[in-house]
Amino acid sequence: MILPDQLNRIMNAIRTLFDIAGKKTEVSLEANPGTIDEPYLAAIRQIGINRLSLGVQSLDDKTLVLLGRIHTADKARQAVRFARNSGFDNLSLDLIYGIPGQSLTDWQDTLKESVRLEPEHLSLYPLSLEDDVPLSGAIQNGELPAIDPDCTAEQYEAAEDYLAAEGYRHYEISNWAREDAECRHNTTYWQCEPYLGIGVAAHSYIDSHRQANTHDLDEYIRIYQLRELYQPEMVEEIAPETQLAEAIIMGLRLVKGIEFESMIDRFGIDVTDRYEREMDELIHWGLLESDGRSLRLTRRGRLLGNEVFWRFLPQ
Amino acid sequence: MDQSLTRNFCIIAHIDHGKSTLADRLIQMTGAMRGEEIRNQVMDSMELERERGITIKAKAIRLSYQPKDGQTYRLNLIDTPGHVDFSYEVSRTLAACEGAVLIIDATQGIQAQTLAHIYVAMERDLEIIPVLNKIDLPGAEPERVLDEIESVLGYDADAVLSISAKTGEGVSQVIEEIVRRVPHPKGSIQRPLRALIFDSHYDPYKGVMAYIRVVDGRVRKGSNLRLMEQGTQIEVLDVGCFIPETSPVDQLEAGDVGYIATGLKRVGDCRVGDTVTTASKGAEQALEGYRPAKPMVFAGFYPTEPGDYDDLRGAIEKLSLNDASFSFEPESSPLLGFGFRCGFLGLLHLDIVRERLEREFELALVVTAPSVRYAITRTDGKTLIITNPTDLPLPNEIEKLEEPWVSVSVVTPSKFIGALMELIMENDGVYKHTEYLGHQSLGDLGQRVKLDYDMPLRSILTTFYDQVKSRSQGYASMDYELQGYRESRLIKLDIWVNELLVDAFSRVVTPDKAHDIGKAMVNKLKEVIPRQLFKVPIQAAIGSKIVARADIPAKRKDVLAKCYGGDITRKRKLLEKQKAGKKRMKRLGNVEVPKEAFMDVVRLSL
Repeated sequence: MILPDQLNRIMNAIRTLFDIAGKKTEVSLEANPGTIDEPYLAAIRQIGINRLSLGVQSLDDKTLVLLGRIHTADKARQAVRFARNSGFDNLSLDLIYGIPGQSLTDWQDTLKESVRLEPEHLSLYPLSLEDDVPLSGAIQNGELPAIDPDCTAEQYEAAEDYLAAEGYRHYEISNWAREDAECRHNTTYWQCEPYLGIGVAAHSYIDSHRQANTHDLDEYIRIYQLRELYQPEMVEEIAPETQLAEAIIMGLRLVKGIEFESMIDRFGIDVTDRYEREMDELIHWGLLESDGRSLRLTRRGRLLGNEVFWRFLPQ
Repeated sequence: MDQSLTRNFCIIAHIDHGKSTLADRLIQMTGAMRGEEIRNQVMDSMELERERGITIKAKAIRLSYQPKDGQTYRLNLIDTPGHVDFSYEVSRTLAACEGAVLIIDATQGIQAQTLAHIYVAMERDLEIIPVLNKIDLPGAEPERVLDEIESVLGYDADAVLSISAKTGEGVSQVIEEIVRRVPHPKGSIQRPLRALIFDSHYDPYKGVMAYIRVVDGRVRKGSNLRLMEQGTQIEVLDVGCFIPETSPVDQLEAGDVGYIATGLKRVGDCRVGDTVTTASKGAEQALEGYRPAKPMVFAGFYPTEPGDYDDLRGAIEKLSLNDASFSFEPESSPLLGFGFRCGFLGLLHLDIVRERLEREFELALVVTAPSVRYAITRTDGKTLIITNPTDLPLPNEIEKLEEPWVSVSVVTPSKFIGALMELIMENDGVYKHTEYLGHQSLGDLGQRVKLDYDMPLRSILTTFYDQVKSRSQGYASMDYELQGYRESRLIKLDIWVNELLVDAFSRVVTPDKAHDIGKAMVNKLKEVIPRQLFKVPIQAAIGSKIVARADIPAKRKDVLAKCYGGDITRKRKLLEKQKAGKKRMKRLGNVEVPKEAFMDVVRLSL
């Protein structure tokens, strides 16, 4: 876990190189509810961290064990209290649904409890499993039921309805926020704006190039110590047609979708023309909707995003 | 070369009983090439065959043997195919031989294929040298197996050689027995040329290479020959033998086995089983040949993309150059477009051909159930012949419906009579009679029995032959003859997917089976068709009457991954993969179906 002191040095370096003072810059940290305490949070708030994202995942202890988490529901609630006491007024909670054996009611309970903690922001994700995690094994040998996609869909829809009633704005497929509390660094990604990644395995998007830093810590340290010319582990030039496709695909993740005018400004392409057939098809299937100025995923489209996205890939 | 010094023989055995190993040993011991090389170069020349461990093509190798008596013997080893689907190929190899080394595995004893080949060898009066192999293995039970050989085949245990092809033990005695017991060819070099074509192969440079066994006369480069039955004229470009690599020789004469390069473009022009003789002053009587191989399994091959039809046609034609046992004719389906109805020696043969088309020629194929030709007399008096179930008129327009029937004979050890009779009855067979063959009882397999039935051709088109084999542990064999048309009460079972009639699935069935078949097909489709963006009803119907249905609910959710700064490239690549996958799917109207789904539905053994 990174120490306040270390974070401070990073913040100072950033302040020296970039002008972030007085600009309402979002400085966000992700933390595990099981490993933080109030002094820590107070210290990092002091340094300038002004947004905290907590990986709560669930407020049901049995589910937390199933997910292999080290914290309990109480610890999660406590972490929220610590955050507030430390002066954090921009708090986000991560929650997981679509868990084997998790009923609709189980999920709704976690949601209600989470809303009661009054976070400014919520990120909700369906459980995704790699083949080698214990949970996959348990499903394969019948100890746990398989993930039910229809149940997962119901849970998502229930969350949409509930959070809307509670005054949260659904602004991206998996993200909800109060007024002005949208996550700004993520919005950069969804709008395909440039970003600089610093550190091991960090990603950047600069000058139409996407790149990834090495994921090997020793390698990273070695290069920087020797002040060598940096060779990223992966670098990809994004051709104009791909930029357009990415802008549409990422942009559609935002609930407000993409604006046709803005695509013309950025790329000189009229989306309604270039993708007329795809749009007709997807609107016909009830996955997209258009008001003439913008294009958005429908509620159904948010659940079946991939069906929409692949159709906007370059020819 | 003096014919008395020639021995033409083959090795027959069940799969994995050691035929290849023994062949390698013999080649090794007679000085021709090192073991590994031979395997890879000559005997198994196709990658697919090697993978499956089987041999399709027959080849011949000339070996030289010099025993102590100072003479040099010429031993022609003719390779036989290893799999039971290709047993007809074995019989044509045997016609080129006077003797056969019969291998029996000391751990397994007598197996189905062994018997099948022995019968053929006996019918041809070959000198059979039984050999007990794999005596080196810990699980070998030589005494038990020798007993079995004695009681089932009638060979004295003392007459059977015990060897290990792997270690080489006893192999030199095998060679000596071949020399001692296999009769030498007895044709005459003086008489006009008569040579039996027992195999052929297309070479891009030399045209069709015909493998021949010269019975009388001689043939050399430049000879002008003709096929006695087919009539094809040949100018011999090249004459040679295999040692094991191709080795041109001046001439092949009575008693020899080798090849002639004909320059012909198509294997079909040089029919196996025919006799070659000289174009002028040729022989009067042809050698006893063969009936052409009969296809036992039929299927429709269609390109997944209609635009690939020409490629498919080219590939099929090319493939058939080297596989005369594979038959094909054009066929069409309103949904699948143009394709071919193909005939195979068995399901394995079908699989191999399909794999080759897909792999070597990079074709995406749809394989469907085949159809027979039906003769319809309409109520208005008009008659028509239809192949496609979709062309069947409405029931009230049909005065009479007739379908082709075949007489089927199944030869089996009596142990399996019950299981086979049941199979035949399940397939609408009409019993004619049972005949017991020979007097010998084959251990607990019982006596050999021939069952004669009449059956509708449609019953034996797909999985029937395979089932005959599996219900008899491989021991039974089958033959059929077309008989003519008979009236049948048949109806068309249609499959509707998302309210669209998929004629590729339409079948002509007997009324009593319609419900079961319909239900099975509907359930299978529900299993293999992925969820779409809309609900997909699947129905089996006879006309407008639905006999079975199932629904595939609409997809509600796909994999919704998070997507942040570090995920974009990866996510995009996943979407690209998804897009590529869509291209490979077959469309039934709006429903996207992976092509494997078709194969699965067709392969239902109904």
